[in-house]
Amino acid sequence: MIQLSNIHKSFGKTEVLKGINMQVNKGDIISILGPSGSGKTTLLRCINFLEKANEGSIAIDDIALDVKHATKKDIVALRKKTAMVFQSYNLFQHKTVLQNITEGLVVVQKKSEKEAIEIAKTMLAKIGLEHKADAYPSALSGGQQQRVGIARALALNPEVILFDEPTSALDPELVGEVLDVIRKIAKEGITMIIVTHEMNFARDISNRIVFMDGGVVVEEGSPRDVFNNPKHDRTKQFLRRLTPEYTYEI
Amino acid sequence: MGTFFEPSLIFTSIPKLLSYLHITIEILVLSVALGLLLGILIAVPKLYNVPILKEIMTVYISFIRGTPILIQLFLVFYGLPVVVGLFGVDITRMDPFYFVIITYTLSNAAAFAEIFRAAIKSVDYGQTEAAYSVGFTAWQNFYRIVFPQAIRVAFPNIANTSISSLKDTSLAFSIGVMDMMGRGDTLISATAHALEIYLALSVIYYVIVLIFERCFKWIERYLNRYILKEESSL
Repeated sequence: MIQLSNIHKSFGKTEVLKGINMQVNKGDIISILGPSGSGKTTLLRCINFLEKANEGSIAIDDIALDVKHATKKDIVALRKKTAMVFQSYNLFQHKTVLQNITEGLVVVQKKSEKEAIEIAKTMLAKIGLEHKADAYPSALSGGQQQRVGIARALALNPEVILFDEPTSALDPELVGEVLDVIRKIAKEGITMIIVTHEMNFARDISNRIVFMDGGVVVEEGSPRDVFNNPKHDRTKQFLRRLTPEYTYEI
Repeated sequence: MGTFFEPSLIFTSIPKLLSYLHITIEILVLSVALGLLLGILIAVPKLYNVPILKEIMTVYISFIRGTPILIQLFLVFYGLPVVVGLFGVDITRMDPFYFVIITYTLSNAAAFAEIFRAAIKSVDYGQTEAAYSVGFTAWQNFYRIVFPQAIRVAFPNIANTSISSLKDTSLAFSIGVMDMMGRGDTLISATAHALEIYLALSVIYYVIVLIFERCFKWIERYLNRYILKEESSL
């Protein structure tokens, strides 16, 4: 359903993505793991053209684009198939929680105000924030803001939701509530691509793990394969450092 | 010629002067409204780095900032008829009121353009990315997400510029527009009392400015509604 082929991206002289291929099927929950600077966030941002890849092709559903020749119209059409949850939430500051969710439904999907509010209320119930419908983002905690960010993405009913390190900006004690919301919507069969540093979460929730390093996909497979039997040394090294289950130091 | 200083003249002249207040307000409202529109248009080439146009706008803004408004007024009053005369249009008999509107619009637009540019740049780029991720076009993002937030930042400066502009309208009479200042001038000739008239004028201008400031405060409070109290007081 989503097909990325030979994605290349450079910032100046630094090549961040060196030809990425990825296939995502409907209902897949894919976690992209890797050290900082491995290109995982850039890859995610290339999918909805927040970064324009230098080379390659991106296909989502019935839209297939060669990135070099993509017009503004193509890009907007592709973005309508996706939604994104940002590391720093990026809720519309001048809109209430409810309006943050209805905005895209009304402006992009041309739904009636009434229908949009209906959908928004359902979403708010799902994330347990009905009572904050009329609050502005600045009055919410980081965890609450991110839950609204998820609701905003979910309300669009996209082909795929892209999660860009959704818990990295949160206080440790707020991470749980956001991960719980993602777990909940994962059960609904929505296709998700998640860039994260939460290893246990990634292992629990994903049906596929993609491990990236140095702008290439080093290894991919089921969570069981990647976490328990990593094939590449780089993957082993990365996971060992993060899950030092048998090393105790005094 | 009566006494040296006649306090009662201050009070009797105020109603006479106020009967020309609408001219002052018309100049202000028109030149601020048109200046806002033109200001956005001038800001766009600088924001989006449009070659050539960007340089022209930079020179324009710098020229307006670097010259006194009174000289700009005379440049437009004497210069514009010459320029449009080249195209065979005669505006030498146009009401000086319009020359005032044109000058003040041009002047306000330059100030507003710089205010808009800074305000639009101050809006977090994450807002734009979020709008794009939802499927907004660049224009939808601008008018629904970026511009409404930029207005909040720009408003206090727009208010200040408008108040300066209100005071500058007092120069309009120098090209023959009969506003409060012009009426004051005729009253001075008729009564031979200058100080009283100028005192009356200063009271009127000051009260109007106070009223404007109060209104602007209300608007500001509304624009800051989505900002936390501690932040908005900074």
